[in-house]
Amino acid sequence: MTFLSRTQLITALGAVLLALFVLELVRRRKLSEEYSLLWVMATTVIAVLGFSTPLLTWITHVLGFLGESSTTFAFGLAFSLAMLLYLSLKLSRLGFENHALTRDLALLRDEVETMRHGGGGSAR
Amino acid sequence: MTAARVLVVVPAHNEEASLASTLAEVRAKAPGVDVLVVDDGSRDATTRVAREAGVPVVRHPVNLGVGGALQTGFRWAYEHGYEVGVQLDADGQHDPAYLEALLEPVLAGRCDVSIGSRFVSATGYHAPWNRRLGMLLFSAIARLAIGRAITDTTSGFRAYNRAVMNVCQHDFPKDFPDAPLLITLARRGFRLCEVPVVMRERQSGRSFYTLGKQLYYPYKNLLASLMALIRRPV
Ligand SMILES: Nc1nc2c(ncn2[C@@H]2O[C@H](COP(=O)(O)OP(=O)(O)OP(=O)(O)O)[C@@H](O)[C@H]2O)c(=O)[nH]1
Ligand SMILES: [Mg+2]
Repeated sequence: MTFLSRTQLITALGAVLLALFVLELVRRRKLSEEYSLLWVMATTVIAVLGFSTPLLTWITHVLGFLGESSTTFAFGLAFSLAMLLYLSLKLSRLGFENHALTRDLALLRDEVETMRHGGGGSAR
Repeated sequence: MTAARVLVVVPAHNEEASLASTLAEVRAKAPGVDVLVVDDGSRDATTRVAREAGVPVVRHPVNLGVGGALQTGFRWAYEHGYEVGVQLDADGQHDPAYLEALLEPVLAGRCDVSIGSRFVSATGYHAPWNRRLGMLLFSAIARLAIGRAITDTTSGFRAYNRAVMNVCQHDFPKDFPDAPLLITLARRGFRLCEVPVVMRERQSGRSFYTLGKQLYYPYKNLLASLMALIRRPV
């Protein structure tokens, strides 16, 4: 029905390379399985939409976009925004945890020092 | 000065220049109270200055901001059995001569938090226009939220009783413990009161209100005040 256009080839190749890179990062323990899931899902979507022109055309038609490239961009943008929101959530949580840990560490260190200096309490 | 156990918590970030005189002044003017310095990841000799003054120091390995330092200080106070915790700036702006007046309503059980206020009566405090505007805005917000006026929401000279210090452990604004904190505490049913004080100019070192913070402050505190109002206290 359709030959692979140059765009399709580039998209598909890009998706496969990205997926491989993500998996390699997991293998090297640089990326946790949790985060890799999002990227694997994203690359799958890119690959499917890139290969299947009818599907992309159908989605474009259903959503009323002006062209296939708009659909691709819209999906890409939506994904990026979702990822950024997710990351700010994670970052906030890390911040809260870090805050609590730092305070705990400071108090524990104080307690250890007090014990070491003979439990004299405040006077140091 | 008082029979009750009172701990003055001094949050300090790079305050080696003014800390020694601040601590000496507290000792001279309020000999009955204990002092704790919370060194919030300073890169200067803040900790050494405090130790040389014979004052215990708790050190954060990294900078958390005033809120975090106070939380640490209040937990220390709570665990060491203090009945009242006072927040006092390291830069010498808060005159310890007012400690007795600040502590009185809390020790007498007439309120849970007392705020050293520059505006309860004429105290000759002059702030730049942008700060004055912010202070007006946030005292208006506090009035709307709490139903009564807090004239000086930005004062960092306050006394808190044990119950409040305990609550502050898990519910406390990170960077600017001002209007949002007061709203949260009022919503929990704690009684706030204001005591007139005179504040001085910063003696040395640098103000922590950089331009960036001055721009961030209204946004953060507006949002946090709103959240303090609509969020169910945890
Ligand atoms: N723990 C901690 N304390 C801080 C930090 N920044 C400032 N402080 C302390 O908070 C107190 C008030 O800081 P200031 O910079 O004087 O703020 P201010 O008094 O509201 O403003 P000025 O009128 O400009 O002095 C001082 O005791 C500072 O040492 C910080 O990042 N962490
Ligand atoms: Mg100051």
